[in-house]
Amino acid sequence: MNWREWQRHQDVLELGQRFVSYVDWGRGSPVVLLHGMPTWSYVWSGLAGGLATSHRVLVPDLLGHGFSDRRDRFDRSLSRQAEALEAWLDRLGVVDAAVVGHDVGGGVAQQLAVRFPRRVSRLCLLDSVSYDAWPLPLMAQLGTPWMARRLSPERMVGVLSWALKSRGFAKKPSAQVVEGLLAPYMTEVGMVSLARDAVALNTNQTQVVTPRLGHLAVPVLVMWGAKDKVLPAKFGERLVWDIPGARWVKVPDAGHFLMWDAPHAVAMELFRFLEGEAPVTHAPERPVAEVLWGEGAPG
Amino acid sequence: MARVKQVSEHRAEGDVERVYHELRQTMRVSGVDVSLRTWAAYPRFFVAMWEAMGPNVETRAFEELAAGLWQEVLDTTVGWEVLGAWSAVQLGPSQRFHARGALELYEAMLPRVLLMVSAVRLALDGHVVGHRGVPGELERLEHGVPARMAAMEWVAERPRDALTRSLFTDIEKTVGPPGVPGEYRALACWPEYLEAAWRRLKPRMKDEDFQAAAESVRESARKRALSLPYAVALSRERVAALGENVNAVARVTEALEARLPSLLLNLSRLVQDVPDMLRQPMPGASRLVPDWVAAEELR
Repeated sequence: MNWREWQRHQDVLELGQRFVSYVDWGRGSPVVLLHGMPTWSYVWSGLAGGLATSHRVLVPDLLGHGFSDRRDRFDRSLSRQAEALEAWLDRLGVVDAAVVGHDVGGGVAQQLAVRFPRRVSRLCLLDSVSYDAWPLPLMAQLGTPWMARRLSPERMVGVLSWALKSRGFAKKPSAQVVEGLLAPYMTEVGMVSLARDAVALNTNQTQVVTPRLGHLAVPVLVMWGAKDKVLPAKFGERLVWDIPGARWVKVPDAGHFLMWDAPHAVAMELFRFLEGEAPVTHAPERPVAEVLWGEGAPG
Repeated sequence: MARVKQVSEHRAEGDVERVYHELRQTMRVSGVDVSLRTWAAYPRFFVAMWEAMGPNVETRAFEELAAGLWQEVLDTTVGWEVLGAWSAVQLGPSQRFHARGALELYEAMLPRVLLMVSAVRLALDGHVVGHRGVPGELERLEHGVPARMAAMEWVAERPRDALTRSLFTDIEKTVGPPGVPGEYRALACWPEYLEAAWRRLKPRMKDEDFQAAAESVRESARKRALSLPYAVALSRERVAALGENVNAVARVTEALEARLPSLLLNLSRLVQDVPDMLRQPMPGASRLVPDWVAAEELR
């Protein structure tokens, strides 16, 4: 499916003075798929249809991203994103949902799970921002008004396209996929909005939830592309270590965009997880140093 | 006419950047339109234009004149055949929401732009434009973009997509210089919709009654411009004294005045083709400022 077809499937919901564009497919227990940066809900276009055969699949564009509200008038931090999603779920009549977050969407999912625990029935983190693994230098640089003023949309998309192709995938993506992932940012409004989104990338937004991850009382799956060059798998391992009962799946031959590199494997794992398979912990061995010195153990 | 390089909002610097900000805030719109960006290519003239027009633009009287002009346009086209572009294309709910927002934005902005252009054109032709009121003595309107107004999002003037490129060429050739009008660049975010709309709009533009209607709109705009509340202190001599190319400025202004009435008629047809259009609040609420601020401003 190309990006315009995906966009055609998007509905829209006004939340006060902002609005969220989203895809709402299928029937059954709800699953929310959250995208990261610099992408939009289209990143899930290969998986959403399959999941919708047995679930109600809700795929929003985060505020400031894709075709949700991108005006220069609101805070895009992870905590605000989580609040907006909570209001959005409320308006859709969704009491609770399995929440699947990729990259920055994983950070939003963590915020949602920690701050609105009743909303999250299951949590799945895919190559998620976490701890101090982010923001990446490129994104941090993009998040300066100075940079946004000096770039043209074509230039910015060119740089991001190169970054996605060279670091995002284990297998060479098609031009259509890369173009689709960046399509909403091809205009000046899109470019500026992405820069504002980048301003909101802030390590503290994940560090603040880290101490509370251990208290999550829902099934958790942490899935990672074994060849992720953007957010190394060690951060996934750390999440599994910190979240009791979390299941750890490392997808071979997949990079950061594991849903494109290994769609079948990712879909199968998601189905198994959503169907309520009992969590199996494959937490990595606890380092001896950590046993001896606690969390402040030297790296 | 030689192509005039527009000054984009992101590339604007110095006084032009300042005027852009004041324009957006005073006109209560989310962006600066093509007409004004073209004028900004002559920066000293542009600043002088705003000094002359700004006190008028922020008054309720100006907005009412513009609203009256727009009502005339709507009344003219309401009896014409329905455009049918909106129902002819397959757009999703989110796409329609965005396209409707773009039309609402231009509906709020374009009549006021024509009024400004007419006033400047008349002033450059040596007419006495506006009454001799003291700036600030009449009721002024609040500043700031309404919360519901869409962002002004445009496709690049030279788009990569062949269909849009050929549409832009045809549009510019048909409506005349300078450049592709902003509303068409905005609607190009949905190329199939722009194509359906343009295919229906273009043939009508050649009809005699369309030409007569455009002439009538032009005359009405001039009459209204002459009755602006405050004098528009602009003249060819002043523009020359500022060191600008008077003939070039006059040519651009004439070109804008020549095409804007037709653009308004087309916009009216587009707007009347869309169900559930929500009008932007126009005129806006009164500007309430503390007495001491008002006194300072009027000094």
